[in-house]
Amino acid sequence: MNKTSLYEAHLKLNAKMAEFAGFEMPIQYAGVKSEVQAVREDCGVFDVSHMGEFFVTGPDAQNFVDYLITNDFLSAQMNKAVYSPLCREDGTTIDDLIAYKLEENKVLICVNAANIDKDWNWIESKKSDFDITLENKSEAYSLLAVQGPETGKHMTTLGFKDLENFEYYSAKEFEIDGDKYILARTGYTGEDGFEIFASHDLIQKTWAKLMDQGVTPCGLASRDVLRLEVCYPLYGHELNDNLTPLDAALKWTVKLNKNEFIGKGALTDYTPNHRLAKLSIEKGIPREGYDILNDNNEVIGKVTSGTMSVVLGKGIALGLIKRDKFPKNKVFKIQIRKNIVDATYHTKAFVNGGHK
Amino acid sequence: MSNIPAELKYTKDHEWAKLEGDIVTVGITDFAQNSLGDIVYVELPNIGDNIEKEGTFGVVESIKSASDLYSPLTGEVVEINEDLNDSPDLLNEDSYTNWIMKIKISNEDEFNSLLSASDYEPLCEE
Repeated sequence: MNKTSLYEAHLKLNAKMAEFAGFEMPIQYAGVKSEVQAVREDCGVFDVSHMGEFFVTGPDAQNFVDYLITNDFLSAQMNKAVYSPLCREDGTTIDDLIAYKLEENKVLICVNAANIDKDWNWIESKKSDFDITLENKSEAYSLLAVQGPETGKHMTTLGFKDLENFEYYSAKEFEIDGDKYILARTGYTGEDGFEIFASHDLIQKTWAKLMDQGVTPCGLASRDVLRLEVCYPLYGHELNDNLTPLDAALKWTVKLNKNEFIGKGALTDYTPNHRLAKLSIEKGIPREGYDILNDNNEVIGKVTSGTMSVVLGKGIALGLIKRDKFPKNKVFKIQIRKNIVDATYHTKAFVNGGHK
Repeated sequence: MSNIPAELKYTKDHEWAKLEGDIVTVGITDFAQNSLGDIVYVELPNIGDNIEKEGTFGVVESIKSASDLYSPLTGEVVEINEDLNDSPDLLNEDSYTNWIMKIKISNEDEFNSLLSASDYEPLCEE
């Protein structure tokens, strides 16, 4: 199994480790609740070095990325980051990713760990006549996500300067005393925060400094609660190889009026089969795979992600509902083992993250 | 190291049992609560339920997972710890004073077949 460069550091902190996407990853340290609270109220750091980093360089870098993804990359200003699904010609979803416009001729694409090989093979196969160079640097980079309202001061202590003008969803290359970093104001928690891409030894040093600065180490379990509270989709749950982004409430990421892109034809004519519902329950926890029912107790969909919200103290879920069964009266129930419980339908995310 | 009181009996599924007269008090062990992490929900049985040895009688849920509870013994539920409805985290604080249910048993031999503290201890190695 793969280990990140911080594996030994996690063991020293007595992290509970488990396999995730082929990597032995920290699931939790002191506890999921306290880690979620640290990120919502203060500052926490995640080792997300398992994620993949591809670099696209050359004169056609921006055009190529814009052609690959469904969201609009060309219109984004220099140094901006763009979240997007990556689709096949038939509109089904290979992965979701963030593309960072680092320079005129240089784009960083960050992809899910479980999909690195699938994405790489796909992207390479689409290179054709584009004047670009593709590099898979997933094994050369480690990645930290430093998240929470107090992140800024910790970044300044690390030596990252002039962060006031560093907008949310943007990225820049930094050099501090000869050490090179890519810093991005992105994350997966809904809070303000930064992601730091750098070599393994620099990330080991940065992690150690953040521990000395009192930043809370956070594992993948709290990361999952944080992203679900703000209703961010997770590939393998709300998105998969058989669903289009339009099935998972991601219409805002599919820009049908931009230039030609892979999947454009299929997505232009497509009527989604599903709608995504945000549901909460008062007692118990909805889990992935549980049936979602209407007021006649007829099965109309399934929970795709569920957990206990630390902020709300309630069970929360995202679920895919068959479009033709979506209840007009918005009455939903969830089957939990032998009990059927009433669920509350939410039009907005369960928690408002603090990012700007 | 897990706390394993010598005076209690145990199951391989990490429940504990304590006999007083014909009433057995049942809970989860310190090892179980520590493995689960933050416990956020407990589904209790109903008073009057007849439960079989090794049958499920409830569920404890952490943020990440739901785990069935298996009864150490056959019997009828006579009391449940309703404090756990509002404060499931009591199981993280002390899983021995914070019991889950009390059952009335008919076969005391079953109780004697449970694991002693020294038999149970090797099952708590990670």
